[in-house]
Amino acid sequence: MGQEHMKSEISYREVNEDVVRTMTTTGPAYYIALVSSMLVFAGFWLLPWAYQIYEGQGVTGLQTPAFWGIYLANFVFWIGISHSGTLLSAILFITQTPWRRSIYRSAEAMTFFSVLTAAIFVFVHMGRPWNFYWTMPYPNQRQLWLNFQSPLMFDVLAISAYMTSSVIFLYIGSIPDLAAVRDRVTGWRKEVYTVLALGWRGTDTEWHWLNKAYTFFAVFIIPLAVSVHSIVSWDFALSKVPGLNKTIFAPYFVVGAIYSGTAGIVTLMIILRKALNIEKYITLNHFSQLGKLLVVMSLLWSYINILEVFTGWYANTSFENEALTYRMFTPPYSYLFWIMILCNSFMPLLLIFKKARTSIFVALIVSLAINVGMWLERYLIIATSLPRKFLPYMWHDYSPSWIEISTTIGSFGFFTMLFLLFVKLWPSVSIYEVKEDIGIPMKKDHH
Amino acid sequence: MEKGILGLFTYVDTLLEAAKKLKGSGYSITIFSPIPLGHEIDHALGERKNYIKYLAFIGAVVGFIFGIVLTLGTAVMYVLPRGGRAIFPVTPTLLISYETAILFGVFFTLAGFLVFAKLPSFKEKFYDPEVAIDSFGLLVDGVREDKFGDIEKVMREYGANEVKRIEKK
Repeated sequence: MGQEHMKSEISYREVNEDVVRTMTTTGPAYYIALVSSMLVFAGFWLLPWAYQIYEGQGVTGLQTPAFWGIYLANFVFWIGISHSGTLLSAILFITQTPWRRSIYRSAEAMTFFSVLTAAIFVFVHMGRPWNFYWTMPYPNQRQLWLNFQSPLMFDVLAISAYMTSSVIFLYIGSIPDLAAVRDRVTGWRKEVYTVLALGWRGTDTEWHWLNKAYTFFAVFIIPLAVSVHSIVSWDFALSKVPGLNKTIFAPYFVVGAIYSGTAGIVTLMIILRKALNIEKYITLNHFSQLGKLLVVMSLLWSYINILEVFTGWYANTSFENEALTYRMFTPPYSYLFWIMILCNSFMPLLLIFKKARTSIFVALIVSLAINVGMWLERYLIIATSLPRKFLPYMWHDYSPSWIEISTTIGSFGFFTMLFLLFVKLWPSVSIYEVKEDIGIPMKKDHH
Repeated sequence: MEKGILGLFTYVDTLLEAAKKLKGSGYSITIFSPIPLGHEIDHALGERKNYIKYLAFIGAVVGFIFGIVLTLGTAVMYVLPRGGRAIFPVTPTLLISYETAILFGVFFTLAGFLVFAKLPSFKEKFYDPEVAIDSFGLLVDGVREDKFGDIEKVMREYGANEVKRIEKK
């Protein structure tokens, strides 16, 4: 099970060796997992998507008035997953939280891969993905420019900015470790890491500027991440559709994103520590701390849900009442709604108990349940609003086609594939920050 | 070939004492470490300047202006009447500018880091891979080789495990 706290008996040299080992020693299980995830990606996502591009959007379940479906639920879900990595890493860096150090690198990578997955869902959702550049403000002969008053344009800018900043944050923070890897590997790896490390030597000047720049990246990324998910919520909330037009949506989405992202980190860390045999770096203390965070986020999420229902009920307008009863009491959506409440409001309460927080099994079950719940939340928001707008004769229930369901499954294959490639190509545990955690060697006791 | 003298230390406090002594004697020193020692070095050898904060601020201001120009400028070039709504709206302009302010702030910070840390750099330099593992290095370069004996003596006196004469590579 691994010890509860990282022991200071781990030597600096051991950290280098262990992290490089995770990158260079590869067993058959890794290749099986990699090939399987590639097959899931190709078979469940690429092929159906190619079919959809060939046949047109008619092969999906999208039709009047439900022009938004599972693709956008997936988009919001993956953007949400991305929120904990970089955001959490930045917040914990600013607050100098020590347990951040061995988990943040993989969490930041998770951010990048999930934003990428989310961004691709926008292309899948587009009828003609090859025209994606129409969403970019580029100079053109007819002086046609974009409508910057549209929340969809806010989205394009916010997500591009978030993805760019997250990649820079991840890369700059990794440079010292890429240099450490460069010094220990041979062959093609040596050449690749020599370039990636940019000639880093670990001088006092380099460290000084890295630290200053990193602090500013963290400071920039926190408001950026908050704004990204607020903007994603405005894709819905700035419409007039009952069930979507809600002022609480921005904080609701930000809380939901951090919540699902933290749960995503927990799931991923459980797999990572086992698969890479790094239980001494990702300890039970990490799960205990993340568990506390999950309880807080769960309570916040539940509070906003109660608020949403309460204000809707108190307003007592027919549209609000209709939207709420449709979601909460009309099958099949009512089943999904109450499963969501069970997964997101009740199951995480288990983590109040320390025994549950330090149990890998409970952590795995609860974190998976939270993400099932969070996916359902996004699905319910979309599937119960647009199909039932103001005019009952326009109502038309949305049900996803096999193409949409298959693509959803395929996205998990894509994400897994990227993450598996990451753990072999990038130091997934921060070497220098784990060393900081072990302590700075001093001859005299200064403190 | 230019030569330098590198002392490898196990402990940070002894390294910093040696660094202080050699710096006081007028030598140009470079400290190598496997972990950031910002606070410790600032404490022992004096506070260093942080120019990146100005760059981050300038970047954010430039980005904010860029956002305004992008939103309002394109609205001028392609007037898009939308049922009586403002052609130059305030809220979306501020929102776009907020995003571009952050993005440009990040870009300027990145540029600042690369310029000040002098990266990327693939020229030949003094380096020993041990300093990326568990040794703390103190390099003195740019001095005549006949001074190396004195420098080595100081390093050993303060507890260097190993003192090497190294070349750029």
